[in-house]
Amino acid sequence: MKKYSFIVFVFSLFLIISCASDETCTQTKYVKLTVNFYHPNPLDTIIANRITTLSIDSLTVQGLKKDSSGKYTPVDSILYNNQKNVSTINLPLNNFSTSSIFKIRFNAITDTMTITHSNLNDYLSLECGCIITHTIDSVIMTNHYIDSARIKIHDVNTINAENIRLYNKFK
Amino acid sequence: MNTVMAQKKKQISMPADSIRWLNGFTVNVDVASLATSTFISNGIYSSEAGIQLDLKHKFFPTLEVGVAGANKVSNDNINFKTNGLFERIGVDFNLRKKKPDSKPTNNLFTAGIRLGMSNFNYNVTNVSITDNYWGGSSIIDYPTQNTTKIWYEFVVGVQVEVIRNLYLGWNIRVRNLLSTDITGEVSPWYIPGYGQNNGSNYGFNYTLGYHFWQQKKIVKKTSVILIQKKEK
Repeated sequence: MKKYSFIVFVFSLFLIISCASDETCTQTKYVKLTVNFYHPNPLDTIIANRITTLSIDSLTVQGLKKDSSGKYTPVDSILYNNQKNVSTINLPLNNFSTSSIFKIRFNAITDTMTITHSNLNDYLSLECGCIITHTIDSVIMTNHYIDSARIKIHDVNTINAENIRLYNKFK
Repeated sequence: MNTVMAQKKKQISMPADSIRWLNGFTVNVDVASLATSTFISNGIYSSEAGIQLDLKHKFFPTLEVGVAGANKVSNDNINFKTNGLFERIGVDFNLRKKKPDSKPTNNLFTAGIRLGMSNFNYNVTNVSITDNYWGGSSIIDYPTQNTTKIWYEFVVGVQVEVIRNLYLGWNIRVRNLLSTDITGEVSPWYIPGYGQNNGSNYGFNYTLGYHFWQQKKIVKKTSVILIQKKEK
């Protein structure tokens, strides 16, 4: 009798296991470009202080999209709206175009950042579907507030990484 | 008189010596996979059969072959479809220790290992991608993908001879993949013969088997009869 109950127990165990299949996506699908701001002090006597993190008092970021007439118009939703004390931002690159343009307002001064990139389909799983990852080719920056831009890591995917560094003007 | 009795006992209690190296073979059909395919459809079907050699009633080299497939639609309406053959080779070991005074039996309590392999084609279709910020969407299909997966299994099972040469048995298995997904590969949701491609896997078989070419035990019986005759 004991034997039979053991067999039934094992049987039911396996039925439970076979039913408990997980069908929700547990992976992160958030692909983001990370941009950090820096302030140069080339004359500082301490080498470690020559580049310091720059915190922007008020920051507004919005995407610019080419409309049907060829004009650049702002995307409806604003990514950062008058955000205070920002030193790092995460931006979405365009999944279906090889260039993404952002209008960035640093306090009162506005710069435009144009990123050209390639896009790649990355199939994760049946539960998660597909994401698009990017590889940065170039960054073109206007120079009103920002002095220069530097690409640190070209691959833009779900992994946290510093992709672009922006340096403001040294005064 | 005493010596004759001793001799008689010895003859009966030593059937092991008389077992040939190749003691026939069993053909098994898995009923569990057939039943689950029919009643718990879930878009998955599988059926398999096996052949098991009996070496000395201790080692059982085994070959299992089958066909399996899946047609699965995810919550996001992605469709995965596959059909494929699979095969597994391995060996089982009889764990039953024969007690000197027990009746000789063909029932088995076994543990064993398998190496499984499947080369199969699959489709992943209707994968949608949207851009929530910039706008736009597209549908991607990955038709006719092909891959080969290799895995190993640990098996524990019992087989009981219900009527002469007809066996019922069940076994449980733990499976682990040896081959990992190649980066950039569209990973299959289901692997024929392995199950869902989601880490370690369990399997359960309920087998119906027929044993061919069973060794006859007539030799032993005649020797006993001879001794009895001498006794008179």
